[in-house]
Amino acid sequence: MQQVAKREEIFPRDPNKTYSLMAIVEGDSFQVERGPDDTLQSWPHLMVRELLLFLLVFIVIVGVSLVFNAPLEEPANALHSTNPAKAPWYFVGIQELVSYSAFLGGIVAPAVIVLSLLFLPYLDRNPKGTGVWFSPDRKIATLLFTVFVIAMIILILIGQFVRGPNWGLYWPWA
Amino acid sequence: MSEAAYSLKESIRQLPRNIKESVSRRGAGTPDQERAAAIFGNIFLHLHPVRVHVNSLRLSYTFGLGLISFFLFLILVASGVLLMFYYTPSTQLAYRNMKDLEYVVSYGVVLRNAHRWSAHAMVAFAFLHMCRVFYTGSYKAPREFNWVIGVCLLLVTLLLSFTGYLLPWDQLAFWAITVGSNIAAYMPWIGEKVRFLMLGGNEVGQMALLRFYVLHVALLPVITVILVAVHFWRIRKDGGLSRPLND
Ligand code: HEM
Repeated sequence: MQQVAKREEIFPRDPNKTYSLMAIVEGDSFQVERGPDDTLQSWPHLMVRELLLFLLVFIVIVGVSLVFNAPLEEPANALHSTNPAKAPWYFVGIQELVSYSAFLGGIVAPAVIVLSLLFLPYLDRNPKGTGVWFSPDRKIATLLFTVFVIAMIILILIGQFVRGPNWGLYWPWA
Repeated sequence: MSEAAYSLKESIRQLPRNIKESVSRRGAGTPDQERAAAIFGNIFLHLHPVRVHVNSLRLSYTFGLGLISFFLFLILVASGVLLMFYYTPSTQLAYRNMKDLEYVVSYGVVLRNAHRWSAHAMVAFAFLHMCRVFYTGSYKAPREFNWVIGVCLLLVTLLLSFTGYLLPWDQLAFWAITVGSNIAAYMPWIGEKVRFLMLGGNEVGQMALLRFYVLHVALLPVITVILVAVHFWRIRKDGGLSRPLND
């Protein structure tokens, strides 16, 4: 009851007020280490993990760089085109589409992709299933997105590996 | 306080502590207060929340994909600045600089490799991170705008990678950018103009190399840094990473 006395001393009850001090909790902070919310201090719990992940990424990149050399071909020559001339791998899927239709594949498709991505969160607003991988509440969204991802990957694989001179079909071993 | 506390002798005795406190802006407190201050008292770390939910620390929730993209960006900035010491954006010199990196500069080839492989990896990891965010439904309110910023980050990452692709000035670079800029020219009405603006001419040449260089080392990195800062700050403001509703 020392608590109550202390409470009254800090914040005396006033019948004219609708609010009052409910309790005084002793401790370092109002959530001592693992609070009711299941939260932890960022320092050290998060920061140490981040540091370890950084070291891992750094080591992998240095390791790969010691073993594999970045490509460097002949000096640029505007008179001798390479055949086929390929865009960087992340655009080679678009290039594949361009080979079917320049306007639809090169302009419309990328524009549709970027605009759909930008507007996605404003069109799919149902909060159900947030915070869970492949939530059963979002089967259709998951399916549509997976189709998109797989289509991108297939286009990139085709453009990168089975297109040879004049953008003709060529098997990688041919 | 007494005058004695300001005496030279006392100042020298307190020097290490005073310097440390003036840098870290931190006085002594309870352990939890000090840990909290370690985050919010630091301009770089204060983009973090002081406390994080245990779900955000689960590796199998994020797979650290966003963080990996960010770390790759840091490696790219560091290795890129070093590469700038050896690179000239001139059609006469660029290719020779590449050869010098390979044969003359100590560890030059490792430096160039690290920059190149991190660049490819950053595109891939930003894309994978987007997939993670999608499959966990993390773009739902209140995180809609952070998703939009993320899409901008992905586009800027692609542009950074694309502009960097031209700089070695070899056949691979030249023809890849020729193909890429020709795609832009398919735009109705403005296509040709867009390509002209991009290349500073009708074909890939000295003007194009200079434009891509300036975009690559100055403009786009600055835009990326700003977007990343907003992205991280928004994560905190949006209540940390997403997690199941009833958790
Ligand atoms: C350069 C690229 C990017 C960087 C460096 C980056 C960095 C990060 C980091 C570090 C996080 C914290 C969680 C995690 O590590 O997964 C995060 C979360 C997030 N990112 Fe990114 N990101 C990038 C691109 C993107 C893209 C392309 C999107 C989506 C189109 C996106 C949307 C989001 C969203 C919505 C969150 C909050 C996720 C949640 O609350 O669970 N970001 N980002």
